[in-house]
Amino acid sequence: MLKRLESATPTPEVTITIDGVPYQVPSTLSVAAAVLLHQGVAGYRRHGAGGHRAPLCMMGVCHDCLITIDDAPNRQGCLVTVEQGMRVCRQLDDRGCEREGRDDADL
Amino acid sequence: MQTCEPRETDRTDGSHGRARVVVLGAGPAGMAAALRLAEAGVRALVLDQARAPGGQIYRQLDQPQLDAAVTGKDYQRGRSLVDDFMSAAKRGEIDYRPGTRVWWIEALDDAQNDAHRLGVRGHDGISRELTAGRLILATGAMERGWPFPGWQLPGVMQAGAAQILMKQGALVTDTPPVLAGNGPLLYLLAWQYLNAGCPPRLILDTTPNLGLARTLRHPLRAWRARGYLAKGARMLAALRRAGVPIVRGVQSLAAEGNPRLTEVRYRLRGERDEHRLKTDWLLTHMGVVPEPQLPRGLGIEHRWHETQQAFVPDRRDDLSVCPGVWLAGDGGGIGGALNAEREGRLAALALLAELAASAPGGTLDRPALVRESAALRRRRRRDLSGRRLLEALFTPPLDWVERQPDETLICRCEAVSRAQLKVALAAGPAGPNQLKAFTRCGMGPCQGRLCGTHVSRLMASEQGRDMDEVGYYRIRPPLTSITLGELAQAPSDHLTTQSQ
Repeated sequence: MLKRLESATPTPEVTITIDGVPYQVPSTLSVAAAVLLHQGVAGYRRHGAGGHRAPLCMMGVCHDCLITIDDAPNRQGCLVTVEQGMRVCRQLDDRGCEREGRDDADL
Repeated sequence: MQTCEPRETDRTDGSHGRARVVVLGAGPAGMAAALRLAEAGVRALVLDQARAPGGQIYRQLDQPQLDAAVTGKDYQRGRSLVDDFMSAAKRGEIDYRPGTRVWWIEALDDAQNDAHRLGVRGHDGISRELTAGRLILATGAMERGWPFPGWQLPGVMQAGAAQILMKQGALVTDTPPVLAGNGPLLYLLAWQYLNAGCPPRLILDTTPNLGLARTLRHPLRAWRARGYLAKGARMLAALRRAGVPIVRGVQSLAAEGNPRLTEVRYRLRGERDEHRLKTDWLLTHMGVVPEPQLPRGLGIEHRWHETQQAFVPDRRDDLSVCPGVWLAGDGGGIGGALNAEREGRLAALALLAELAASAPGGTLDRPALVRESAALRRRRRRDLSGRRLLEALFTPPLDWVERQPDETLICRCEAVSRAQLKVALAAGPAGPNQLKAFTRCGMGPCQGRLCGTHVSRLMASEQGRDMDEVGYYRIRPPLTSITLGELAQAPSDHLTTQSQ
C-alpha cells in the first residue's frame, strides 16, 4: 500500500468509487495513484499472460496501469486525474465491476 | 538535412484546425519556448499530455503537495517558470491545451504555412486533426526500461514513478523500500524519502567500477560538474548519517513473489552466493532516455549515443531536426531541466529568426535574436560539458541485458522472455522489425518503448553489428494508445484554435 504523508499540503478531496466502493481521495491524484493508495499493488490488474501487474512508470509509458474508467476500458490510469463521482473498475476477470456489469446485463 | 518523409497532402476540405506555431509538451523546454515566443508576440499552441504545465520534473508545482524541506530546492525552482507560463496563458499570449495527446504526426510536402499534420486527442477524448506551420518538439524523457527476473511483479516500480507519487499526492510506500540501480535520480529519491521521514531500507548500487576511472580523466569537466558533484556528496552524507546501507558492486538482481513482490535477490561482484532480502517494495532506476515516439513518428534520424546508452535524435546546432521543426530538451538527448529550459529558448529564437527572415521589415530584430542565441549557446555548452561527466559516472552496466537469465521478460507487454528472443535471434532476423514479427516483442501497448533499445542491443551483440546498423523498431501511428472509437472520429472533426 501507499500512505499519504502527514506533512502534505491540505488538498480538497473528491469521492470516486473503486469496484463499487466509495473512497475519498485528494483531487490532485491520478486514477492509478488513487487505486495504489486504497487498494495497493496486488490485484491492480490481471495480465493476459497470467499473473498480476501494477503500474511501473506512472508517466504514460508502460501501460501496466490500464483500468476501466466510467465504463471505458483500457484507459491509462496514470494519465487521468480523479474527478468527483468517477467510477473506476480494476480489470480482474474474477471480481469487481466486470461481475457487476454481468449482473446489469442479466436484468 | 533530411525532409522528415514529406507526404502528398490529401486534404479535401478545409475543416481542420490550423496553427502557425505548435509546441509539443509543457515541461521546462516547452514552457520556455512558448514564453520566449509570447515575448516576441507569437502565440503558440501548446499541446500537453499532463493536466497542468511542468512536465515530469516540475509536476504539480501549480498545487505543490510537499515543501522544499522534503523535495529539495531544485524542484521548487521550477515554480517561477510554471507561474510565468500560466500567467501568459491567462493573458491569452499562449494557447495552452492540457490533457491532449498527439497520436499521429506527419510532414506534408506543402507550402511553408501548413507544413505538418497532427492527430490530436483532446481532453474530451475526441480526436481532431490539426495542420501546423512550425513545430517545436519538447517531448522530454522517460525512464529506461530495466529488465531483470520478476521486474513485472506488482511492488516493483521505477524510481521516477515513486517521485511522481510524492509530487502528485505526497504518497510514499507504507514500508521502507529497497532502491536499486544506478544514476542521480536513485539517490535523489532516497534523499527525498529520508526527508519525508521514511528512510529506504537499503540501496543496491549497480554502477560499474569504470565510472570513477573515467571521471579522473577529465579534470575540467569535473570542475564544471562541481555543482552536481557537491549536491550528490551532500545527499550521500545525509543517507550515511541516517544509517541507510548502500551496497555497491551489485552484479545481478531478481524479484520474487506471488501475486506480488515479497523478496529481492542480488549478487555482488566477485561473489558466488546470492543475498536475499524480504521487502514489499523495490524501486528501480537505470537512467533516463529520450522519449522516442513523436520524433520517430515524424521520421527524424537517430544515432546511437554510447555514453547515454540511447538512440538520440540527430539535431543541428540550432536544434532543428528538419525544415520547420526544432527539438528542445531531454527529448533530444539528456541534459537536465536547466539545459531543457535553455534549449526551449534557443529553439524559439531559431524559429523567430526564421520568421524574421521570411517577413523582413516586421517587428522582429534578427541581429538581436542571433546575439541572444549566441550567449545562451555558450552557457549551454559549458553546462553540458560538466554533465558529460555525470554520464560517464553513471553509464549503465553495458552487458546487463545480455547477461539476463532465460526467464527475464524483455518485453513486458507481450511477456516475451530472454529465452524466446535467443531462439528467434538464432534464426538470423534481418532487423528489429522482423524480430518483432517473429516474437511479438515490442508489439504491445507500450509500443516497444521499454524493450526497443534492449532488442537492438541483443541483436547487435548476437550478430556482431553496431547499434546504428541494427537500428530500432519502425514507429508508426498511433503513437500513443487510442481506441478504435477515437480513431473513427478522427478525420471528421477539427481542433479549434485562435492561433495566428
